[in-house]
Amino acid sequence: MAANAGNKIRNAKLVLLGDVGTGKSSLVLRFVKGQFVEFQESTIGAAFFSQTLAVNDETVKFEIWDTAGQERYHSLAPMYYRGAAAAIVVYDITNAASFTRAKKWVQELQAQGNPNTIMALAGNKADMVEARQVPAEEAQTYAQENGLFFMETSAKTAINVNNVFHEIAKRLLQGQQAQDTPAGMVLNQRPAERMVSSSSCCS
Amino acid sequence: MGSNSPPPSRAALEPFATLDPAALAGLPPSSPLTVRSAAVSAQHLYIGTGGGKLLLFTLQSQPQSPPEFLRLLPIPLLSRPVRRLGSLRNVSAVAASDDRSSLALSVGKKLLLLHLTLNDADELEVQTREIAAVVDAVKALAWVGDSVFVATASGYSLFSTTNTAQGLIDIFTLPESTRPPRVKPLSGGDEIMLLVDNVGVVVGRSGHPIGSSFVFNTAPDCIAEVFPYVVVAGDSKVDVYRRRNGAHLQAIPFARAATGALIVASEDAGTGSDVIVVATAYKVFCYRKVSAVEQIKALLRTKSYGEAISLLKEFEDDGEISKDMISFVHAQLGFLLFFDLRFEDAVNHFLLSETMQPAEIFPFIMRDPNRWSDLVPRKHYWGLHAPPKPLEEVIDDGLVTLQQALFLKKAGVDTVVDEDFLSNPPSRADLLELAIRNIIRYLCASREKELSSAEMEGVDTLLMYLYRALDLVADMEKLASSQNSCVVEELESLLDDSGHLRTLAFLYGSKGMCSKSLGIWRILARNYSTGLWKNHASLSETDSLETSVGKMSGEEIAAIEASKILQASSDQDLVLEHLGWVADIDQELATAILTSETREKQLSPEMVVAAIDPEKVGIHQRYLQWLIEEQGCEEPHYHTSYALSLSKSAMDAVHSESNYGDKNNKEFDSDMQFIYLLREKLQLFLQASDLYDPEEVLDVISESELWLEKAILYRKMGQENIVLQILALKLEDSEAAEQYCAEIGRDDAYIQLLDLYLDPKNGKEPMFTAAVRLLHNHGESLDPLQVLERLSADMPLQLASNTILRMLRARVHHHRQGQIVHNLSRATNLDAKLTRLEERSRHVQLTDESICDSCRARLGTKLFVMYPDDSVVCYRCYRNQGDSASGRGRNFSNGAIFKQSWLVSR
Ligand SMILES: Nc1nc2c(ncn2[C@@H]2O[C@H](COP(=O)(O)OP(=O)(O)OP(=O)(O)O)[C@@H](O)[C@H]2O)c(=O)[nH]1
Ligand SMILES: [Mg+2]
Repeated sequence: MAANAGNKIRNAKLVLLGDVGTGKSSLVLRFVKGQFVEFQESTIGAAFFSQTLAVNDETVKFEIWDTAGQERYHSLAPMYYRGAAAAIVVYDITNAASFTRAKKWVQELQAQGNPNTIMALAGNKADMVEARQVPAEEAQTYAQENGLFFMETSAKTAINVNNVFHEIAKRLLQGQQAQDTPAGMVLNQRPAERMVSSSSCCS
Repeated sequence: MGSNSPPPSRAALEPFATLDPAALAGLPPSSPLTVRSAAVSAQHLYIGTGGGKLLLFTLQSQPQSPPEFLRLLPIPLLSRPVRRLGSLRNVSAVAASDDRSSLALSVGKKLLLLHLTLNDADELEVQTREIAAVVDAVKALAWVGDSVFVATASGYSLFSTTNTAQGLIDIFTLPESTRPPRVKPLSGGDEIMLLVDNVGVVVGRSGHPIGSSFVFNTAPDCIAEVFPYVVVAGDSKVDVYRRRNGAHLQAIPFARAATGALIVASEDAGTGSDVIVVATAYKVFCYRKVSAVEQIKALLRTKSYGEAISLLKEFEDDGEISKDMISFVHAQLGFLLFFDLRFEDAVNHFLLSETMQPAEIFPFIMRDPNRWSDLVPRKHYWGLHAPPKPLEEVIDDGLVTLQQALFLKKAGVDTVVDEDFLSNPPSRADLLELAIRNIIRYLCASREKELSSAEMEGVDTLLMYLYRALDLVADMEKLASSQNSCVVEELESLLDDSGHLRTLAFLYGSKGMCSKSLGIWRILARNYSTGLWKNHASLSETDSLETSVGKMSGEEIAAIEASKILQASSDQDLVLEHLGWVADIDQELATAILTSETREKQLSPEMVVAAIDPEKVGIHQRYLQWLIEEQGCEEPHYHTSYALSLSKSAMDAVHSESNYGDKNNKEFDSDMQFIYLLREKLQLFLQASDLYDPEEVLDVISESELWLEKAILYRKMGQENIVLQILALKLEDSEAAEQYCAEIGRDDAYIQLLDLYLDPKNGKEPMFTAAVRLLHNHGESLDPLQVLERLSADMPLQLASNTILRMLRARVHHHRQGQIVHNLSRATNLDAKLTRLEERSRHVQLTDESICDSCRARLGTKLFVMYPDDSVVCYRCYRNQGDSASGRGRNFSNGAIFKQSWLVSR
C-alpha cells in the first residue's frame, strides 16, 4: 500500500458514520493497521487516522474521521462530515435498527452535506450471516436508489474492507466521471469468491 | 480513547509543595482566607484572596524547594482609578485580542467588540460595535488570531473579526444537559479545545477539527497546557495527558478533597518555566514538570527498558529531547542491557548513539592497563551501571545475578531480570560467543565512522582479537589483507601462538612488513607441500580472488600471495631471495615477479639473470624477452643470450619431438604447433635484432635442422652464397632464394643461384627445373654467355636446349617488350628504387610520447617496425601482426599502398 514516490498525493477527507457498535472503528482499524479486536471500545468524540492508498499510479491520502455512534455525540457529526470528500455509512447486517439509522445518516448527508461527497454504504459484520437481519438485496436496492455504492464487509475477516476504500479512492480520482456512471455496486452474493478476487487487488 | 489504556504510571509531573496561604502569611485563623485567583511569573507566584489580599511567593531556583512567602501586597495596586465602561452591565464573558487592544464581550444576548485606545490626553477611548446576536447566554469567549470563539449552552460557534459580515459560524451544537461549555486555546492559540462534558474536541482557528478527541476521565474543572502535556484538574486529582495523542499518562490525587480547583501553568504566563500550580479554596498545590531526561532515568533505574524506549521515542516525536541526549540515552541503555547480558539489544542501542565513542567499549575486550587505556573516555552516564570490565567478568557477574533472581523468584519475590533468561538460562559459553559476535558487529560499524588514528587502531586490533577468539579465520584474513589499522605488535605473538599464520602473513603484508610476510608464506608453502598443514584453500578470501582457477592448493596460494608482495617490492635482495621457492611452485608467478612493472625501482638484470635457476629456462627466456621487448634493453649480450636460449629451446623441442615417435595425432599436432610457434618467435627475433652475435648463435644451431634460422643468421653475416645454398638446396625454396637474390639486387646473385641449381655438389642431382624456372623468370637479367658456360655437359640436350631456348626467347621477348616498356620502366624503376631506398632509410624520430600504434605502449628504446603507411609498432606487435598488415590495421596484401612520392611523375 506504499505510496508511489514521485506522483502527486491527493488528500481526501473521509468520514465514517453509523449507529453505535456497527463496527466503524473496527473497519478503520482493519484498513489502517490490519488488525481486529473483539472488544473494541465505543468511540467518544471522534478518532482520527490517516492512511495512503495507491490506485494505479496515483496516491490518495485518506484523512479518516471515525465518529462516535453514540447518540450523545450526534451533534458533533456535522463538524466531521463538513467538507468530506467521502463518507462511509455503516450498519450492522445483524441489526435491522442499525440499517434504519444508516438511512437516516444518508438522508442527513443528502440534506446537509456536500453534494459531491462520495457515499458508500457498508453492511458490516458480513461474517455473521446466520444472524442476518438485513437482506443484502434490500440494502443494494436502497443504495442504488440513493446513488450510493454498496458492499457487505467484515472487519473481522477483512472481507471487502480494502475494497471499500479502494473503490472510494478510484471514484475520487475519476472525479466527475464517477458521477455519470450508474451508482451502486454489484451485489456480493458469494463472499468467499469476492474475497479471493479482492485480496489480489489491494491487500 | 484513553480509558482502555493501562493505568497511567508516568511521572510526568511531580508535586513539590503544598501551600497553606493563610498560615504562611501568618494570618490568624480568625481571619479566614479563600484563594480566588493565582498567577505565576518566572520567579513569583501570586495568590489573590476573597478578602482582597494579594500574597506574593518567590519560586526558588531549585525547583525542589517550596515557594517562599515574600509578602502581602496592598490592594489596590492600580495607579489609575478604575473607569466604568459606559453602560455595560451584566457582562457574561470577556476575551481580549492577542495585542490586548480589543475586547470581545457578551452582554445579554449581544456580542460586542470593544476597541480601546489611549488618546493624546492619555484618556481611554472606547469604540463599541455590536457584531452578532446570540440565542443563548454566552458562557465563554476566547479570542485567537482573527477568530473569536463563542460558547453558549447550546453549542460552539465562532466569528471572524476580519470578516464580520459572515456573522456567527456554528462549529457544533452541544447535546442536552452537558456541563457548561469551556474554550481553551492550546499551542499558543493555534488550536482551541472545546469541551463537551469530559471530551475535549480540538479545532483549528477556522473551526475545523484537528486530531482525535481528548477523553478526560472526569469533566475537568480547568485545563492547562504544559507542553508536551495537557494537564487537567477535577474530581480531586490532576490528570496528565499527552498533547500529541490524548493518551492519559498520569493521575495525581490531591492530598485532600478540595473545592474550586484552579490551575495556573507557568507556560500560560509565557515564562517557559515548568511550574504548575493548582489552587483550591484553602490550599495551593505546586507541581513541577519532570524533564524528559529525568523520566527516562527513573524508568532505567527500575530497568523498565521497554517503557524507557517508548518514552524516548515519544519525547523524540514531541521534540522534547535534544539529539545529543537521545544519543546519550541510547548509550546508557546499551550499557545497562550489556550488563544484563542482553548483548544484541545492547549493541543495537550503542549503534543508535551518535555520540558514543568506540573506545568506550574497549574495556570490555581488553583488560586495563593497555595501549588504549588512556583513550577510553571516563563517561559514567547516569551512573546506573558498573564501569566496563572484561567480558568474561561481565558474564560471570551477570550469571550470578541471574541465579539470585531465579532463587528470589522461586521464593516469590518480584525480580527485574529478563523473563527469557529466567525461563531458559543461557550457558556461559553461549553468552560469551553472543557477546563477542555483537561487539564485533559494533566494531565493524565503528570502522565506518570518522575516528582518530589511535581509536581506529584500537578498533581494528580488537576486532582482530575478537575474530581470533571465535576462530573466524575468513574474517581475520579479510581484515588482515585489506586496508586496516591493526597494531602488529599487539597481534603478532597472539596470531603466531594460535597458529593463524596466514592471517599474520596477510597482516605483515598489508603493513608493508614484506620480509616477515614472505618468511611466513615461504614456511606455509613448505608446510603445505609436505602435507604438514591443513589446507585452507577453500577460504572465502582466496576463493574470491581466484575463482577462475577454482580450488587451489595452499602452496599455490602462498606463492600467489608472496608474488603479490614481490611484484611490488623494489628490494632486490628480498625479491631474489624468495624468487626460488615461488618459481618452484609456479614459474608463471616467478616470471610475473621479475617482469613486474609496478615496483618503483627496477631490478638489476645482471643480478636477476644470475639468480634465475639455469634449470628454469622458461623464466630466463621470458625475463630476457621482457627485458628486450618491453624494456628496450640494447645490451648485446642479453640479445645473444635470448637468441641462444630460444635456439636451444627450439632445438630441444625439435629433438624431443623426433624422439617420441609413438605419439597420437593430437599430441603430435600440438607438438608441431608448439615447435612452429617457438621457431617463429626465434626467426622473428633473429631477423629483427641486430644486436646479438650471429656467430655464437650459429655455433649452437649449426648441427641442427633449423635451416631457416641458419639462413637468417648467415644473411646477417652477409654470407650470401650460404644463404642461397640453404634456401635453394636445403630448403628447396626457390621462391625464397630468388627473392633473396632480388634483395641482394645484383645480377651475379642470380648466377650464383643458377650455379647452385646446376651443380648442387655433395652428390646432389642438378635441379634443372628450378634452373629453368629461374631463367624463365630472371633470364633477361642474366648474361647468356655466362649461362651457357655454366650449363653442364651432363645436362640432357633436350633440357639444355629447352633452357637455352627459353632463355633466348625470354630475352627476345623481353627485349621487344622491354624496348617498349624500357624507357618508361627504367625511369619508373629507377624512381621506384630510389623511393624504396628512401623508404627503407627513412629517419624516424621517436620521442617520449611515441607509442606503438597497435598496443599503444610507449616505444621508449624498444625495437620497433615502421610500415609503409607510416604506422609504427613495437617489435612485439610486429611479431603478432606480421608484414602484411600495418599497425593501423591496413592489409597490404589486399590493398597495396602508394605514396605520392613513389609515383613517377613523368
Ligand atoms: N463479528 C464481527 N464483529 C465485529 C465486526 N466489526 C466490529 N465488530 C465488533 O463489534 C463491536 C463494535 O465495534 P466498533 O468497531 O467499536 O463499532 P463502532 O461502530 O466503532 O462503535 P462506536 O464507536 O460506539 O460508534 C466490537 O466488539 C467489534 O469487535 C465484524 O465485521 N464482524
Ligand atoms: Mg467506534
